[in-house]
Amino acid sequence: MRIRILLLVVVFLIGASEDSHPAGLRPPVKTLTFAVGGAPSELDYWEELLRDFTARTGIPVELLRQPTDTTLRRQTLSVALLARERDPDVFLMDVAWLAQFAASGWLAPLDPYLGRDGFSGRDAFFPRILELADTWQGRTVALPLYVDGGILYYRTDLLRKYGIPGPPATWEQLKEAALKVQAGERRDRPGFYGFVWQGAQYEGLVCDFLEFAGADGGVETVGGQVIVDTPRNRKALGFMRDLIHEHGISPPNTYTEMTEEEARAFFQEGNALFERNWPYAWSLHQAPGSRVKGVTGTAPLPGFEPGRGTACLGGWHIGLSRYGDAAAEGARLIGFLTSREVQKKLALRLGWNSGRMDVYDDPEVAERLPYYRELRAVIERARPRPMVPYYSQVSEILQRRLNAALAGRLSPGEALAAAQREIRDVLSRYD
Amino acid sequence: MRKDHDLRELLKGYAFLAPVCALLLAFVFLPVAGTLLDSLHRDVTFLPRRFIGLGNYRSLASDPGFWQSLRFTGLFTLVSVPLELALGLAFALLLEHPTSARGFLRAGVLLPWAIPAAVSGRVFELIYNVQYGLANALVTGIGISEGPVHWLGTSAGAFLALVAADAWKTTPFVAILLLAGLSAIPEDLYRQAEVDRAGPLQRFFRVTLPLLRPVLVVALLFRTIDSLRVFDLVFVLTGGGPGGSTTSLSLYGYRFFVGGDFGYGSAVSVVLFLLAFMLSLLYLRASRFGREIA
Amino acid sequence: MSEERRIRILYTVGAVAMSAFCLLPVAYMVLVGASSRPDVLSAETEVRLTARHFLEVLGTGSLHFPEYVVNSIVVSGLSAALAVALAAPAAYAVTRLELPGRMSFLFLVLAVSMFPPVSLVSYLFRMMSALGWINTYAALVLPYTAWVLPLSLWILTSHFSRIPRDLDRAALLDGCGRLAALRKVMVPVAAPGILSTAILAFIFAFNEFLFALLLTTGRNARTIPVGIALFEGLHGEIPWGMIMAAATLAVVPVILLVLAFQRGIVAGLTRGAVRE
Repeated sequence: MRIRILLLVVVFLIGASEDSHPAGLRPPVKTLTFAVGGAPSELDYWEELLRDFTARTGIPVELLRQPTDTTLRRQTLSVALLARERDPDVFLMDVAWLAQFAASGWLAPLDPYLGRDGFSGRDAFFPRILELADTWQGRTVALPLYVDGGILYYRTDLLRKYGIPGPPATWEQLKEAALKVQAGERRDRPGFYGFVWQGAQYEGLVCDFLEFAGADGGVETVGGQVIVDTPRNRKALGFMRDLIHEHGISPPNTYTEMTEEEARAFFQEGNALFERNWPYAWSLHQAPGSRVKGVTGTAPLPGFEPGRGTACLGGWHIGLSRYGDAAAEGARLIGFLTSREVQKKLALRLGWNSGRMDVYDDPEVAERLPYYRELRAVIERARPRPMVPYYSQVSEILQRRLNAALAGRLSPGEALAAAQREIRDVLSRYD
Repeated sequence: MRKDHDLRELLKGYAFLAPVCALLLAFVFLPVAGTLLDSLHRDVTFLPRRFIGLGNYRSLASDPGFWQSLRFTGLFTLVSVPLELALGLAFALLLEHPTSARGFLRAGVLLPWAIPAAVSGRVFELIYNVQYGLANALVTGIGISEGPVHWLGTSAGAFLALVAADAWKTTPFVAILLLAGLSAIPEDLYRQAEVDRAGPLQRFFRVTLPLLRPVLVVALLFRTIDSLRVFDLVFVLTGGGPGGSTTSLSLYGYRFFVGGDFGYGSAVSVVLFLLAFMLSLLYLRASRFGREIA
Repeated sequence: MSEERRIRILYTVGAVAMSAFCLLPVAYMVLVGASSRPDVLSAETEVRLTARHFLEVLGTGSLHFPEYVVNSIVVSGLSAALAVALAAPAAYAVTRLELPGRMSFLFLVLAVSMFPPVSLVSYLFRMMSALGWINTYAALVLPYTAWVLPLSLWILTSHFSRIPRDLDRAALLDGCGRLAALRKVMVPVAAPGILSTAILAFIFAFNEFLFALLLTTGRNARTIPVGIALFEGLHGEIPWGMIMAAATLAVVPVILLVLAFQRGIVAGLTRGAVRE
């Protein structure tokens, strides 16, 4: 008897929970949901933007707050999409795992909406990015909301002090300049280093590696093969290792602790001549209280030959869930968020690098963010990491082996050969 | 007629067991079997499902990430379990001592156990915060280290942080177990030892420990199995980092699930399952529960 | 110094150390939750107590915190109730009826408690996904009930085996059926044990993490442990004040339970694993 009552209670509560299966007691309520993560202050601004959207279109949107961490954001999205949940309808994806989402069939094509009813056309966005990252099997499955590329920060005052004409165009020039300035500055600042970058065992290391390897190196996906072990890559990895161990212009904790924030803090304290980081660091370097305020310059990253440098493509892309219940409304939201007006707002307010090309020519934006014009050229030449669905496995292999080489446990040749072997094993699982 | 009655009784008895069996079958055994089956397939979100036999396991054998997580899980268990047993024994001895504060002490000791691991994980995340965490305040205050320690930024620091947090969370449970064992030791034996002029230390080693052995073994096996399957704390406190150095087997398998590779993740979890299963067989032998019911 | 005195000093020192060890992190959590700044321990900052974080956590709709609390309490309560309701008849049958195979049954149930959750969760996910139950109470209640059944069964079996057979034999002789005997005789006598079993089951279900992480996606069914793990707050970089305030609020139910039922919990836990 008691069991029967209990079962009734259970059944009732199953039916009563809002997210019911259509066979439940209440009919499903259709709402447009938008999932995004980021710093809490960013999320506040999203609320503001969404209110603006609702005011204009009359479509209510619910903001689903996600954590800041990119791995957590991926996990929460994956679970919802694996279960074919109705929420979220619209969400942001890190370009690093965009390929897996696309290949899994989770993204609804946006082609039917492009260029119609206020929705921008393909030509508004960086064509290379659209082609390399947002197109899957001939269809547009995402749009770049925020794009990123590594740049070189440098101390204008120090370059002037030591008579160096300008930022380096080659890695060799960077090394020479760093050695010179470091020798001089060490007298007053024993903890001064020439060049800080990200070498800890995490995703950022792969980005830095691609940038060191430059336009003639990097990871190629050719005919179903992923090639990492090339002479140019070996040279780049050797150079990275030498920066730490042989020339001593990068701190010893580069391969144990240096991530974006560590490097930024290091440079911001005035302890470095050069810094490799994403553009976000600019406004922090210029914030009150920063020791490098007003003396920081930006430049594209050098290469082994002049003009052969590159930037690793980062950023977040916006997509529409294939399983959502508000496709048309979701598309309108995407159109709104990728419009020139909103993209400009995001640039001015959050310092975001737009995926639209016209925002970079806007005078107001250029005034607030002086590196923007230069950034456009950087973005246009930026190279993505391999856009394959199993990229996270490839990345883990690379992180481990590259870091081992930086630590001196493996030679660059051994590290890349081992990485190539392991990547081939992974690929054989996915053929 | 008696036989009919007995038969009816028997059937009724099984009917009483049936709901439990059904629930466990549906939500435990079936999922385990399903996971085992999945591990024999190439099951990825972006490719069709295909039977590959032991293919996933072969890949596991040459996967450095898997071995790293196995090593971490083993080392973590090896370090934290003896620590928790020793601490738990100390706590149990303290809790057994008759005082008026015993109830309060027990409630206090139960708190770490009662708080969800995920929640205590975040508290410890703050405790190990470089700038203003409690750990660095203590360490620099006492003078063990001049500057702040990057606990969660190095593999050694993260490992220690996890062991400490885990010890904090699970020592109460061990203590309670051992407490029950302690209270079961007859007073006469202690009195006998006192008559034989045995000091407190001798009493401990001659009376307490030997009689506590069965409970200790139970606690040891229980905690070992729990340590092997650690997930919550690692997920929240270190996220498996830095550089994957504190990734437990559970976390490693979980990563593949949310990365879309169900086949491979299932293989990892099957390995963990087999480890836990072998240990649990030992546990069942040691706990001798049969005598209780007969 | 006499041995007795030495022991007493040792004991006091030990008891204080033990209490400090157990309570210090909890106290720190509450302190940071109630402070205006997270760096309360550094000598330069002035400590100012505030209830701001608690109010923000409870009052901000988009954080969904009160919903997580409700979800946790309902799911854990249902699981505990269901587990006890199913375990009681089973314990009765095992202790009172000489059922052949009852050993294997107990063995099997015991084994279940050793399974790593990660070895079940992926298939459970697909099961719940196929049923459309992801992010509903059903997705959690049923696996949780299965999860806490072994513990409930052990403890109840232990309790029931201590109740003299004569008691329910008398009821049977009076013409009661087995279930009635269970209800009228065993349950009242074992009531305290049943209560502590339910409380233990509640606590275990409340603290569960991995299933909740994968089987829920949002405020409809997400539980507190997952909510706290993913908590990001409203302002600042990592809003420790708010996270600690949320953590404090989150553990209030279990702390109350522990304080109120400390004796029963201890008894239950020891019954669960130790034989006399």
